[in-house]
Amino acid sequence: MELLQMNSHSFSTISTKKIIQMNDVWTSYDSKNYAVKGINLSIDRGTNYAFVGQSGSGKSTLLKLMNGMMSASKGTIKIDYQTPNMNDKKFKSMMHTIGYIPQSLGLIKNITVLENILIGALPRMKKFQSFFKIFPNEEIQEAKKILKLVGLSGKEERKAYMLSGGEKRRVAIARAFMQKPTILLADEIVSELDHFTAREIMNLIVDAQKRMNLTAIMVHHDMQLALEYSNRVAVIKDGEKILEIGVEGDKIVDFQTGDLTSDEIMEMYSDESKK
Amino acid sequence: MNQKNNLIVGIIIALVVVASYNVDANPVEFFEGIPNLAIVAEEMTQVEAELFGIAFWSMFETIQMAFIGTIVGVAISLPLSMFAARNLNSKFVYGPVRAILAAIRTFPSILWAILFVIMVGLGPFAGVLAIIMYTVGFVAKLQYEAIETIDADPMDAVSSIGVSKWQLIRYVVLPESAPHLLSQMLYMFDYNVRQTSILGLVGAGGIGFYIINYIKFFEYGKAAVFMIVVLVTVLIIDWVSVKIRDKYIIKSQHGMKVVKT
Repeated sequence: MELLQMNSHSFSTISTKKIIQMNDVWTSYDSKNYAVKGINLSIDRGTNYAFVGQSGSGKSTLLKLMNGMMSASKGTIKIDYQTPNMNDKKFKSMMHTIGYIPQSLGLIKNITVLENILIGALPRMKKFQSFFKIFPNEEIQEAKKILKLVGLSGKEERKAYMLSGGEKRRVAIARAFMQKPTILLADEIVSELDHFTAREIMNLIVDAQKRMNLTAIMVHHDMQLALEYSNRVAVIKDGEKILEIGVEGDKIVDFQTGDLTSDEIMEMYSDESKK
Repeated sequence: MNQKNNLIVGIIIALVVVASYNVDANPVEFFEGIPNLAIVAEEMTQVEAELFGIAFWSMFETIQMAFIGTIVGVAISLPLSMFAARNLNSKFVYGPVRAILAAIRTFPSILWAILFVIMVGLGPFAGVLAIIMYTVGFVAKLQYEAIETIDADPMDAVSSIGVSKWQLIRYVVLPESAPHLLSQMLYMFDYNVRQTSILGLVGAGGIGFYIINYIKFFEYGKAAVFMIVVLVTVLIIDWVSVKIRDKYIIKSQHGMKVVKT
């Protein structure tokens, strides 16, 4: 019953709180082939949204469009009513609200875990302080709190290169949390992990997401994982969104297809399960 | 394919022969000259041990010159390398900076030494200045190349947080390129000690001054003392830098454990 109520609400009230909107967005790395083709998206605040698709389908590109690392060649993108563009001062001043974890994590391997996490606080720091690495005590306390949250207490002084794959992901997540983000973008953060560790990391993100009222946009390779942890799942193939599913628990509450027939969708699923 | 290779080898050999003829390089003279070396070697064995005191002192001076030259040179080249890196600047910035660095590198240190002797007079200071120039030219190049090979992912990840360019340099570029920098400093110090040893030739201080003078006056036994000191010092520096490299550089670059034997 509760689920049905949630569902009827989701179209009336929550839909006014769109945090991410994409309208007919196209983009390409070279001038010939489009990596993203005519994507329409509308993501509510607080959603845990997932992109699923095979390698090279354009799902990572969608994340880069959202934080301004790439720009759309056609169409409009609005993140919190701003157009993402790294060279735009207004957008740059809100970039700290978007936590981005690339697939490679982007940790700095020769510095400690604590220093890696404190990087998330840099946009809040004064020039002088950040040049001499003088972090205010409250930032250090905040970093330690987050370290505890991600389960890395006691490893503050480890160098990043000494950590295991799972631990490195926790550091990347902690750095993103340190930014005090409203949006979290994570690119295949659990793809290379074993089943158990992957679920630990996903639980960590989902818990924190609820507590901080984060909007999480995650790229997954594994459909199972996406359905299990997300409210909405978009399937991306060859730069197009071919399917979007709303999920509550184990129920599908909303189902939209692109211009595809049911046969093509079935084919897509079998492609995924082969992976 | 094979035939083409043979042809290339043939051409190279032909070029070496022609060039040797042009520069008067005659292998026969080399072998005829070996007895002369024996005379020098024999005289060198008559080491005049009482000179070791002066030799050590002048070696110490040489090391200090190389040390100042390396540290100051690296300190100057570090900011220059930031401006010369293509992944941090537009071509209007890195272009001119690279041109200046290339110009600095065209002079060997001995020519810089001559210039500085003219400028500040005879003595170690001219040598120090020459070493600084040489170090700047090389370390800046090595360092901007190191910066350009930094993994783009941490740079992208950190710049997507919305940090300033200086914060990016301080928190990503410097730590990521630090192992290279340390390695280059060691290499440069090692190299500069050898270089400084010959700057005495043009009166720019250091142990080379004694070596060149004793050789000029055919006092090979005395020159030998100084040469032994140079040899031993360079070997020690080599050994120490291997130790430092093992401890700090290899480990941090690959995250590998250095096995202690």
